[in-house]
Amino acid sequence: MTQQRGGPLQGIRVIELTKVWAGPYAGKLLSFLGAEVIRIESEGSLDVTRIYGVDDLNKAPGFMAVNPQKLSAQINMKSEQGIALLLDLLAKSDILLENLRPGAIERLGLGYERVKNVNPGIIFTSMGMYGAAGPLAYQTGYAPCFAALSGLSSVVGYEGEAPGGMNVRYADSTFGTAAALASVAALRHRNRTGEGQFIDVSAVETMTSMMGDAIMKSTLNDEIQACDGNRHAEMAPHGVYPCQNNEWLALAAKDDDAWAVIANTIAASVGKPELATDPRFATLAARKQHEAELDSLISHWSTCQDASEAAAELQHAGIAASKSFTSLDLISDQHLWARSFYPEVSTSDGNSRAIVGPGWKMSRAAQIHAGAPRLGEHNHYVFGEILGLSEGEQAKLAETGVTR
Amino acid sequence: MSALQGIRVLELAESVAGEYCGKLLADFGAEIIKIEKPGSGSPTRALGPFKDNNPAPEHSGLFAYLNTGKHSVALDLDTAGSTLDTLLANVDVVIDDHPNDWLTHHTLTFDRVERDFPALVFCSITDFGLTPPDDRLHATDLTVMNSAGWAYHTPTGADPSRPPLKGAGRFMASYEAGLEAALCISACLCDSSGGRTIEISKQEVLLSRLDYVLAQMVSGEMNVSAERDAFDLAGPAGIFECRDGFAYIWMSAPSHWQALRELLDDTTWMNDFPDNWLERGCTAERVTLCRQHLGAWLKTQNKHDAAARAQQLGLTLVAVNNAEDLLACEQYEYRGFFTELRHPIIGNARYPGTPYQLSKTPTYPQSPAPLLGQHSQHLATVTGGAL
Repeated sequence: MTQQRGGPLQGIRVIELTKVWAGPYAGKLLSFLGAEVIRIESEGSLDVTRIYGVDDLNKAPGFMAVNPQKLSAQINMKSEQGIALLLDLLAKSDILLENLRPGAIERLGLGYERVKNVNPGIIFTSMGMYGAAGPLAYQTGYAPCFAALSGLSSVVGYEGEAPGGMNVRYADSTFGTAAALASVAALRHRNRTGEGQFIDVSAVETMTSMMGDAIMKSTLNDEIQACDGNRHAEMAPHGVYPCQNNEWLALAAKDDDAWAVIANTIAASVGKPELATDPRFATLAARKQHEAELDSLISHWSTCQDASEAAAELQHAGIAASKSFTSLDLISDQHLWARSFYPEVSTSDGNSRAIVGPGWKMSRAAQIHAGAPRLGEHNHYVFGEILGLSEGEQAKLAETGVTR
Repeated sequence: MSALQGIRVLELAESVAGEYCGKLLADFGAEIIKIEKPGSGSPTRALGPFKDNNPAPEHSGLFAYLNTGKHSVALDLDTAGSTLDTLLANVDVVIDDHPNDWLTHHTLTFDRVERDFPALVFCSITDFGLTPPDDRLHATDLTVMNSAGWAYHTPTGADPSRPPLKGAGRFMASYEAGLEAALCISACLCDSSGGRTIEISKQEVLLSRLDYVLAQMVSGEMNVSAERDAFDLAGPAGIFECRDGFAYIWMSAPSHWQALRELLDDTTWMNDFPDNWLERGCTAERVTLCRQHLGAWLKTQNKHDAAARAQQLGLTLVAVNNAEDLLACEQYEYRGFFTELRHPIIGNARYPGTPYQLSKTPTYPQSPAPLLGQHSQHLATVTGGAL
């Protein structure tokens, strides 16, 4: 019996052998969906997010950010006894998530075949930059490497210039989501048939999937998508424009009528009362042809505007527009707070803190109420309640360093 | 056998987010019944890229990518009467990506769905959730990327005088939301206790992808500001020009610095740097100098060769690939990432496949995207002859 918080994955137990962000993010998603997710940790091989630049490993900000609502149990996987203990736990689990370095899980003696022997129903999800097998599977990298290798970075940048790539934080969490999806689909199969399986997820391929239509441009027409700034083949204007106080305004005209509304909004300010009927901008084709002039006119207007007020004015006129949010805007956004997107959770020291919630709301959702675990916070639950070891046996494992 | 075999999905969605969600479920073997407007079909059919750049019917590469493995039924929901309810009674999942008023107009409010179709998994995808404030009623993926902070902080090291960027392609927010929706739906299909209503907000999906940074900001452990580099990491990492394209290099540890010393021909400039500077002395001056030298060297190198040598030394240097590189990539070839499909109008083409390989229930684009209304006769089968 797992812990009961509701949600579609209540009753499912997930074991995490993960590092940094992508693997832990996959586990977090499953936890937010109701699964009992147990991170296996050890003093001898702590995750970098628990220790790097941190005074107290139980209060590491990066770790706490990606690991709320999980359990932590300590097992030293460099000992045979530790591996045996872990296999006992895997025999009572549904999903194993791992994103260790290529080949590391086999070297630990925890390859799929061995785990399958103790639990044929297990879903063993292995995450790697290039996947678990293949001529380049040995290569390693961090999130921006996934994006670079996938083709995704090559299309992010200003028009006619070298690629700039997405912000450095992009890719790990998307990769984690793909791994969570595959795991859950396999779980549905397991529920029906009893059959477990091995899942091999590639970060680079995940990123390529997120720009499939740009790849189709190549496969259909032998054309390579170049950096195009904020351009959109089917919309103009479609851009981000400078406003007062170094703020920026994003706006897009979905059709000619939307352009007419934008034109009327800015006509007076740019000294062109006839802008809405100007033939250079009357149709999408015409606007695409004169897009630089169009952007220049809009920028001329926007530089004198307050970004939030301009966005609100355009919205009331039916136009897709938004201030370009800074981190300050993200944290203070009333809409997000009203929707409880930053839920309060309890930490093990009795305090509460805000976390980042899931991207969904659902009926009969899992409760999300706990912060990230202290190292080994759930040793007793895992070894005592799940594995049924006596106090004496647990004490012995601790003394001999197996559960350190 | 497929993981989602036997699952029947009604796709009411008409834009990239919902269609991508349906495609992901189809790759796992679910049966997708896509409802399209007679005559024009899904609006994504009118969006490029087009085969031979010809925007004729059934030429959209976007639609072709997003709709592999689906059935197309031409049906006008405004005049369909009770047909929609009959369909709802005969499917396991509904995917929608219209605003709230559309759902209300078609009597598909969550309350009603939960009451009348309690076994149904009903997923809505919208820009800001089903109850957006008045100043967020209109959006495109560009404006959502800006409402979610990704644009403002892209590219890394953004020049404050230049515009925030929309990300990769036109539909990044939609792809992310579609992926999230597929996850939630699949999870709900694991629960035999009944259906669920699911509400996906593109803005919240994009923000949840930032949890590592954003959670530290909301808890007060990381600075919050209007700086364009508020998400960035210090250091010389970045994209550099090569002889035949671009490469990305990541350096954060002393071991990377040592590997670089072995990789470069001229390392004299490195002598002024402490061995552990990446961890303990990452000053702006050193970063600039390092980038200058790295940049000058990489300009003389081919991206794939430099990456192969660097990787052998333990340095995370990779090529910035484009689509052509991927189509020739030996790793993609080995894993069979691309799937060739024959579409009756656009012909043979290679399609990006799935990023996961499941040993017992393989995933792949199962058939080319349907022609508009190709499976309209299929309705009778779906409803057991009720239609």
